[in-house]
Amino acid sequence: MIELILMPLAAFVIGLAMVLMMRRIGARLQRRVGPPLLQPLWDIIKLHGKETQTSHGLIHELGIVMAIGGFVAAVTLMPLPGMNGLAEQGGLIALVYMMMIPSLGLALGVGQCANPNGSIGISRALTAMLAYDIPMVIVVFGVAFFYGSTSLVQIIDAQQAGGFATWGIAEMPLLAFAGLFAMQAMLGKQPFEIYVAPAEIATGPMVEMGGKFLGGLFIMQCFQLYAAGALYTLLFLGGGENWLTFLIKVFAVVAIPMSIAFLFPRYRTEDVVRLVWKWPAMIGLLGIAFLMY
Amino acid sequence: MTELIKTPRTGETLPVKAGKRTNPLANVFDELVRFAQSRSLFMLHYCTGCGAIELPPSMTSRFDMERLGIQPMVSPRQADILLVTGYVSVKTLKRIILTYEQMGSPKYVIGICSCTVNGGMYWQSYATAKKLNDYMPVDIYIAGCMPRPEAVIAGLRELMENIRQGKADSWKDYYRHYDHYLGHQQRLFGETWQTPTDVIAEARHYGLFGPDTLGTHTALLEQHQRPLEALEMKVDIPELMARR
Amino acid sequence: MTSLDHLVLVSALTLALMLLFGRMRIAGRLAVVLYAVQFLLLMQTGALLGEPVASSLTLSVLDLQMHWRYDALSWFFAMITIGAGFFCAWYAAGVWQERYREEGHSPRLFHVALAANVLTMLILLGSGDLLSLFIGWELVSWASFLLMAVGGGPAGRAALRYLVYAFSGGMAILAGLMLIYTQTGSLDYARVLSLLGELSDGQVWLLLLLIGGGFAVKMGLLPFHLWQAAAYAETPGPGSSFLGAISARMGLYALIMLLVAMLGIGRLTAMEVPFTFLSARDLIAWIAALTVIIPTYIALQQHDARYLLAWHGIGQGGYMLLGLMVGNAVGSAGGLFHVFTYGITQAALLMAVFAVVHRTGTADLNKLGGLVARMPLTFLVLLFGIISLAGLPPMAGFVSKWMVYRSLVAEGMPLLFVAAVVGTLGTILSVYKLIHNIFLGQLRIEHEQVREAPLSMLLPMLGLSTLIFLVGVTPGPALSWVAAVQASLGLPPVPYTLGGIEDPRGGLDMLWLVGILMAGFGVGALIFFGLGGRSKRVHQLDNYAGGHFLTADVRYQYSDNFYAGLMHLIGPWYRGAFLWLEKALTATVAFLSAVMNGFYRYAQPALFVLATAVALLALTTA
Repeated sequence: MIELILMPLAAFVIGLAMVLMMRRIGARLQRRVGPPLLQPLWDIIKLHGKETQTSHGLIHELGIVMAIGGFVAAVTLMPLPGMNGLAEQGGLIALVYMMMIPSLGLALGVGQCANPNGSIGISRALTAMLAYDIPMVIVVFGVAFFYGSTSLVQIIDAQQAGGFATWGIAEMPLLAFAGLFAMQAMLGKQPFEIYVAPAEIATGPMVEMGGKFLGGLFIMQCFQLYAAGALYTLLFLGGGENWLTFLIKVFAVVAIPMSIAFLFPRYRTEDVVRLVWKWPAMIGLLGIAFLMY
Repeated sequence: MTELIKTPRTGETLPVKAGKRTNPLANVFDELVRFAQSRSLFMLHYCTGCGAIELPPSMTSRFDMERLGIQPMVSPRQADILLVTGYVSVKTLKRIILTYEQMGSPKYVIGICSCTVNGGMYWQSYATAKKLNDYMPVDIYIAGCMPRPEAVIAGLRELMENIRQGKADSWKDYYRHYDHYLGHQQRLFGETWQTPTDVIAEARHYGLFGPDTLGTHTALLEQHQRPLEALEMKVDIPELMARR
Repeated sequence: MTSLDHLVLVSALTLALMLLFGRMRIAGRLAVVLYAVQFLLLMQTGALLGEPVASSLTLSVLDLQMHWRYDALSWFFAMITIGAGFFCAWYAAGVWQERYREEGHSPRLFHVALAANVLTMLILLGSGDLLSLFIGWELVSWASFLLMAVGGGPAGRAALRYLVYAFSGGMAILAGLMLIYTQTGSLDYARVLSLLGELSDGQVWLLLLLIGGGFAVKMGLLPFHLWQAAAYAETPGPGSSFLGAISARMGLYALIMLLVAMLGIGRLTAMEVPFTFLSARDLIAWIAALTVIIPTYIALQQHDARYLLAWHGIGQGGYMLLGLMVGNAVGSAGGLFHVFTYGITQAALLMAVFAVVHRTGTADLNKLGGLVARMPLTFLVLLFGIISLAGLPPMAGFVSKWMVYRSLVAEGMPLLFVAAVVGTLGTILSVYKLIHNIFLGQLRIEHEQVREAPLSMLLPMLGLSTLIFLVGVTPGPALSWVAAVQASLGLPPVPYTLGGIEDPRGGLDMLWLVGILMAGFGVGALIFFGLGGRSKRVHQLDNYAGGHFLTADVRYQYSDNFYAGLMHLIGPWYRGAFLWLEKALTATVAFLSAVMNGFYRYAQPALFVLATAVALLALTTA
């Protein structure tokens, strides 16, 4: 039971560090110093501590609650070293769908803001989801099929049985590549940053979010980075034997899309869909074909 | 013109008793929240004039504002600092006020360039607002034509220091002396001037009401004001209402 | 008199009473009570767990015995039918009925049509042999036509289109039955079942094409889906809900009888499609998968809320057949369970949409917006409905869809799995558009005074929403019915628990999932409300517009062509190929009939009759 409290907490702390890492990588690539160590935390405290805050109604508020709450619930389905949480009760498919709850909450909250920039942002975010979820489910299918289970605990056990040789990335390199590609789009980082697009639709979903609303989204971003990194680690990198290796893997995984992101501008919506449906999806299907035959 | 007695100056503690903070944390961890506020500033640069050109160098690799926790944001809802970078024409000023009122408090205004201080080279222009702090409380002026990025950063650092010490609360002044600011706005834009934000209702809601919030100018506003109440969610079931 | 007789008699009594008293104001409430009685009587038959219940009525036509009986499968579908009838009658019983009368329609006709639908469906579900199945089928077709046509205008045209499809389907089924009769000499299930194994693959293919095709029309399987959306969407409110919830599932019931009960999945797997590596089962599964995808993406393009949901109804049917074609314990249970979860979901969704129509007078998604401030409870119903329809936790639809996915993973069917997920993603996109364009965004000036839906319409909606949530949290009881149905069909029963599915290779426990989700929401609320500063609600025009001053007379809302970016890519993929095919067929038939007409008029009529007779003789002797 104590696991269920510790897991979201760990996820949040790791997520904070990932946000810092993301901003530092961006700064380094632009030859800047970057923000100080606790910057993500200061941002969140400041935003929650705003004295006047603008709400557009109850759904606007509940949307943020759903966005945070959905991730707090979802991360308990991902086993950590020594902690299984609810991984036995949920499994991989439930996890993938559980991770859509925060997006739904965010979408509802943004919708209530009555700002077309936000609505356009959500329409693009959902379009991006339609794009990246197809390679994503191909990857999920491949892994679940290969290990004959949708239970993440069993998938990790099978990977850890024989060291690196039995890791998902060694057994299914094509799927691992497709998964990495899909993750780039899933995190909404350049070149797939269609729904934030600050110069075009004024940060889209975030346009009417200030104070604790934006603070909630910052918290959600921490969870989102963690969830993406942890999911990839669980599926392909053998999960965590212990905390040290787990953390190294998770941060390494998230560092890859971050490093790529700051080198690119962004695509148009239809080009994102076309690109993601073409390359990672095809590579993923090829990977499954290798697994099955 | 402006009665200078009434315009607040930075660093000056206001003779109004400090109301309860709206954030439950802020009452207990006052220092921490103030520190976080000073270390994390999102700025909205309203690039009205030539001063804007000095901002990219202060953000990018040469001077890097992000190491101080300052980063640009897009919409007024997200921002803490409103940077007004240059001369303010009457038409622009309407948008600046709209934007300022949409920001969440605590909010800070920084006037960059001489034009925001006294009209600068546009002193004789009929279409330019001369002094920004007639229309909204300004925390820091960074004079110069144009100020170098070093000056901009020095100004921001001073603002940070003020915030940390709790001195940068001129945003409260907008609520407490709303009549004063509204009067200047009406002088420029006419009697029918109204922004979408209901400042008086906000002052009431957050307990920021002062003796000068209402006055002759707000009375004028109320005469023609379009209603701005939020659309409250109503569970209005006819059958149940009839029975009641 | 058996308990089945009681059920059918009460159902017939409902129809008779509606005919007699349908004009009165009390008729709606009477109907609700009568449907409740039917539901109780169905519960008392005990057909689910015990032996099949037979009706004491048997008829003999020529040398064929016709009889009726209820087994677990019939019970399952009848339960959904009567439940849907109950909720829809409740929805119609109060203010809706009065408004309907004021608009110059006849509530009596509506009540009669609804009662006739329930009665005929009950008769169809009880069919004990192929002849009674066919007669029940035709009765259901005519009853559906009646309900579709009561709206008049575009509804009448849509209903006529349905009738053409239903007639063609019925004729195909009749031809298939004749084939069976000539081969086996009987239409009794048991006899047919024993002799079916002796048929050659070619004959079975013909049977599948004729009978399966005929049944597929009702279900709206590709390529027979074109009639359904308009016919269901244009039906008056509660009728549309009823049709959407269950009517098309009669086709699924008949398909289950044919494919699972009579032929069996094993036989389908053994039959190869010539010149391909597909079996008949794969073929049907792919038809189901395409039925999921294509109508779902057509729904994405709709800007009328009723049509959007009706198109989704066609798509969701595909999941049911897909699950059944996977054929293992979890998959077939998922397919059957989806009939139930989808039924309650679609009924609630259409009711919510028609409540909006009741209040605002339009279902056009480009003319609504911001109604959550005025109709919050209807919003809640629609929200629960769309979460369930899109198959997200913690609603009922998630459990059934999860089971379909899980079985596809377990059986190693990657492409079908991807197809199913593509359908789900399309559903998420279009249901967000639905809820956004109706309830979120900017409230229009003309809707400022709109009030919440009347209580008589709100209560059944809220009841269905509660059901959707409860079934999502504790799917166990409903899964126990599904397991009984599977047992009666000879399928492996699903290993269910109170909270979901027991599976050593990755199961599901909704109790835990919903519990942690609620706990997560609690944490979220604590952070948001507890640690965040005080907020103030503002007017919708106090909004970021790049410094622009917003006014009430200029709309600030994004609703038309909602997925513009996506449509840049997939827009050209909508070719309307099926519509083109339908038009081509219609034109061909019209041309042929004109030719025959001309031939009959200008040539010697006697010669024409002679030629026809000779041709027929030649055909029958050959």
